[in-house]
Amino acid sequence: MFAGPIQELVDELGRLPGVGPRSAQRIAFYVLEADRDSALRLAQAIVEVKDRIRLCERCFNVAETELCTICSDPRRDRTIICVVEDPRDIVAVERTREFHGTYHVLGGALSPIDGVGPEQLRVRPLLVRLGVEGVAEVILCTNPNLEGEATAMYLARLLLPIGVKVTRIASGLPVGGDLEYADELTLGRALEGRREVNG
Amino acid sequence: MNETVILRLSLRDFRNFDTVDFYPSQDGLTVIQGENGAGKSSLLEAVVYVSTLQSFRGAPREAIVRQGAIEANVRCDVLAGKRKVETEISILLGRRDRAWHNGQRVPGVRGLLEVLRTTLFTPDDLVLVKGAPSGRRDFVDDVLTRSHPRLGADRSALDRVLRHRNALLRQLGGRLDSEAATTLDIWDDRLAQIGERLARSRSELVEALSPYAAEAFSILASQAGSFKMRYVSSWEGALSDALAVARHEDLRRATTTVGPQRDDVEIEAGGLDARTRLSQGRQRCVALSLRLSSHRLMTNVTGAAPVLLLDDAFSELDEATARALVGELPDGQAFLTTAGELPPGASPKLVVRLVDGKLKQ
Repeated sequence: MFAGPIQELVDELGRLPGVGPRSAQRIAFYVLEADRDSALRLAQAIVEVKDRIRLCERCFNVAETELCTICSDPRRDRTIICVVEDPRDIVAVERTREFHGTYHVLGGALSPIDGVGPEQLRVRPLLVRLGVEGVAEVILCTNPNLEGEATAMYLARLLLPIGVKVTRIASGLPVGGDLEYADELTLGRALEGRREVNG
Repeated sequence: MNETVILRLSLRDFRNFDTVDFYPSQDGLTVIQGENGAGKSSLLEAVVYVSTLQSFRGAPREAIVRQGAIEANVRCDVLAGKRKVETEISILLGRRDRAWHNGQRVPGVRGLLEVLRTTLFTPDDLVLVKGAPSGRRDFVDDVLTRSHPRLGADRSALDRVLRHRNALLRQLGGRLDSEAATTLDIWDDRLAQIGERLARSRSELVEALSPYAAEAFSILASQAGSFKMRYVSSWEGALSDALAVARHEDLRRATTTVGPQRDDVEIEAGGLDARTRLSQGRQRCVALSLRLSSHRLMTNVTGAAPVLLLDDAFSELDEATARALVGELPDGQAFLTTAGELPPGASPKLVVRLVDGKLKQ
């Protein structure tokens, strides 16, 4: 145990994901020894993110105003929605610069073990958006694991009767990689999803 | 024939060993003698750990690391085909196990299994025959994972789907509205897809093992005649249909009553059900036959014989069976632990004694 405020900081840091007790201690003492300005900058950054960041009212991405930067960009194609589990997935898709539509953040994936069912995800708001935004295609961009696949399947069943086009991202090999280093699960999936070559 | 050969085995702070450095015979039988509790099985446990990152005795990592130490190391030099691979693993308390091949990190267990495969015999194998179906399913899934890693991955996917589905059933508490039915449909679909594929792979594997097991049994039990091994599904037709039929019952009991988690492997020798009707001596012969069949199958599939590990495997056998097993042991490197005499007819290449955590030739 350390003197009151230090122990408090260690305990709070220890709650953060990926920070164990020893890292918490190291960070706490770093903060203690750092000059006052840089410590305050950290504190201010935490306050700012809590005060100024909220969720986009349309897609539930992180935002500074009612709408996130993507939803408020008039150049984005609002007829295509890419459904992701988490705001961080938006960043990943944006890095491709291949997608010019809008997003919808579910806030997770179906996982009964963790008590997550459709009611815990932002499914209903998605259905509402389909009604009012004239959406032509929904891309299911959930993770290619068991829970993500189940979520994609659930959404497909919900959306197809509405008459919207529903697509699922493909699974396969990393570009620029070597076949011999691919794990057999991924390679197997890539074989399953092979395409005919039209030379 | 390619073989897998252990050239050298070194342990540090593994179980009750401080340090041990061991050069076994590169072919034929290496015998490790020692009193009960001397650590004979721990040596074999280390070999299996290098191949699977798991204790075959089901021990937690805290029990693997020597008391008072925080890290155990195993180094195992393996000749796999023509390639020499220095395998090292580190079991550090509070962290995930790490593994290296020739100094390069090995990311997963599959990489380890590619270099070192083992076939283990223990007196506990009797449970395979006498015990609950889960033991037989695990045996089949284990062979499947080693011989066809992609199909073996279905087993862990199945376990996870079942956990999700059963959690959902519990949450529903016996009531099913149309919304909940849609969600349950999704998990039924996943279960049907993964379950049917796993059941098919298991069934094919059992069929492939069957002739090897029959041949081994006829020699070990010196009993020619019918030996049958059959995979028995807990449903007929499509699994999705069976799940639909069972839905009411599943909701009531809040668990999944059909699927590969309810399947079994039926074994019959001389027209008698092995689990309920055979004598214990015959049941041991069946268990040994199962192990030998997996060894032969792995040898065929991978083109290299796994290293044979016989942990006290002869202690419960009658002389005729022991003699037959010694005669039947496949070529290649084999390790045998024993607290007593050598099995009849055995001609080891190397005998070492284990006393106070030290090996003596």
